Amino acid sequence: MRRSPRTRRGWGLWADKNQGYWFILPCFLLLAGVMGFPTVMAILNSFTPIWTKGFQGFTLDYYARLLRDHIFWNSIIKTLYFVGATVALHLGIGFLVALALNTEIRARRFFRVMAILPWTLPDVIVGLVWAWMYDPLSGIVNDFLHRIGLIASPVEWLANPTLVMPSVIIADAWRGYPFVMLVLLAGLQAIPKQLYEAAKVDGASWFQELWHITLPNLKRMIVIATILDIIWQTRRFGLIWVMTQGGPARSTEILSVLAYKNYFKFFNFEYASAMSVAMAIFLLVVGLPYVRMIVRRA
Amino acid sequence: MRRKSTRALTYMFLIAILIFNIIPFYWMMVTSFKTDAEAYAIPPTWWPVNPTLYEGYGKVLMWTNFPRHFLNSVIVSLGAALLSTLVGAFAGYGFSRFQFRGRTSLMAVLLASQMLPGVLLVGPYFKMLARLGLYNTYPGLILAFCTLTLPFSAWMLKGFIDTVPQELDEAALIDGCSRVHAFLRVVFPLITPGMVATLIFAFLLAWGDLLWVLCLTSTDSMATVTLGLSRLVTQFRVIWPQLMAGSVIAAFPPMLLYLLLQNYLVKGLTGGAVKE
Repeated sequence: MRRSPRTRRGWGLWADKNQGYWFILPCFLLLAGVMGFPTVMAILNSFTPIWTKGFQGFTLDYYARLLRDHIFWNSIIKTLYFVGATVALHLGIGFLVALALNTEIRARRFFRVMAILPWTLPDVIVGLVWAWMYDPLSGIVNDFLHRIGLIASPVEWLANPTLVMPSVIIADAWRGYPFVMLVLLAGLQAIPKQLYEAAKVDGASWFQELWHITLPNLKRMIVIATILDIIWQTRRFGLIWVMTQGGPARSTEILSVLAYKNYFKFFNFEYASAMSVAMAIFLLVVGLPYVRMIVRRA
Repeated sequence: MRRKSTRALTYMFLIAILIFNIIPFYWMMVTSFKTDAEAYAIPPTWWPVNPTLYEGYGKVLMWTNFPRHFLNSVIVSLGAALLSTLVGAFAGYGFSRFQFRGRTSLMAVLLASQMLPGVLLVGPYFKMLARLGLYNTYPGLILAFCTLTLPFSAWMLKGFIDTVPQELDEAALIDGCSRVHAFLRVVFPLITPGMVATLIFAFLLAWGDLLWVLCLTSTDSMATVTLGLSRLVTQFRVIWPQLMAGSVIAAFPPMLLYLLLQNYLVKGLTGGAVKE
């Protein structure tokens, strides 16, 4: 019996079923090099100063230091503040705009395109533009507020420790809501029209439709958008870096900024590793439901 | 009557959002045409009194390293995009067509790798590059950007390959093609639009990065646009017309490409969890 190479059955690595391994091999080799190895090194390094002093036996000192370090806790609080507020705003604005775009209005495509625009900018550029808009003397924000009579003297948006976080959050809300809007809009468009027609027949109000039809049908999209956004926002670096570099007085020093500083400004490699391992664990825990959802579907 | 007023309300809301969206773009554009002196005017002018191309665009293109940074951004982002699209296409085919053991777990690993924060990887990666002599080089940056682009590209391409009927590969196999041939000759041409979309997405992911470039380059001639612009803003006195002109130029490719990709945007970035 002739066995042609492509219909080969059996158990070897060349069996058709197993050729899949060869196809995914380059991808996983590359990932092992650029992500796997650094991850393993970061984890090792958070237990022993493997680069600076060589292997010294495992210790939990760096993690213990984290727990006692008020700078670290400050940064956790700032991260929660930043991520919580931006994700909430992205969802809130995104949902409202998606609802508005899902009605029968003229120029829907135009509004949709205009609504996506902010999201297409690199976050570094968003940070730069907003930093300039917030300029106390020559910025457009103060000038506008002054003209309509809301403020009498210039406000130092990015130099005032209490105002700086809300200012940064607004800039990021502007940047980030369009993506959530697009996801929710896709979800809205997938809801069968008959459900709304049936509700109309039953005399349901707009709010009842929203509560009993729209939201339950949109739940999956909301979960996906929220998880992805939490992950992206926790990792956000460029926007904050160009606007404040974590300052003033650490009032916008989110985890990614603090970890970066510990690595590349203070050269506390072990400490920075411990910090970013903690951050990675948080992100993996948040991201797990998303991974499960998608893999199950595939 | 009630319908009419809701519609009016919808328009008003959308127009308000439109203005909110436009203002930063407007400010960026307007500033890029101002002279340095006018940019610092108090109160600011809402329209350039003496519009000039020279002070913003001219100077940023001739007096600074901006053109070099732009070129670097193109080289590095394109390199990462090409590499991850090519490698990702093979991985996508592997996941799409074969039911090998551990397939689901490996797919989960691929997705989960997108959750890892850059700051976790960048420190050890920096050490690794220094060892290999790749610190402050294009290959070092291109490989680094693969951490951002590869998991995403592989996943997105798997989605595109899933839409190509398996019968086509099987027909090619019966005709005597090997699997690689079947992939390259039959599937590859059919997913060209998907490959282009993936390529552009990967390009844009790399284009917007700051963290990796900040940590992996030491000389200004290796910096990308994002890093170059972020350095201009930390100078003692910021020359805003130049900075905004640079921002306009650096923002242009992503704006254009994302708008071209509108239809793939949601599906691509949610791992296909949302069908558009």
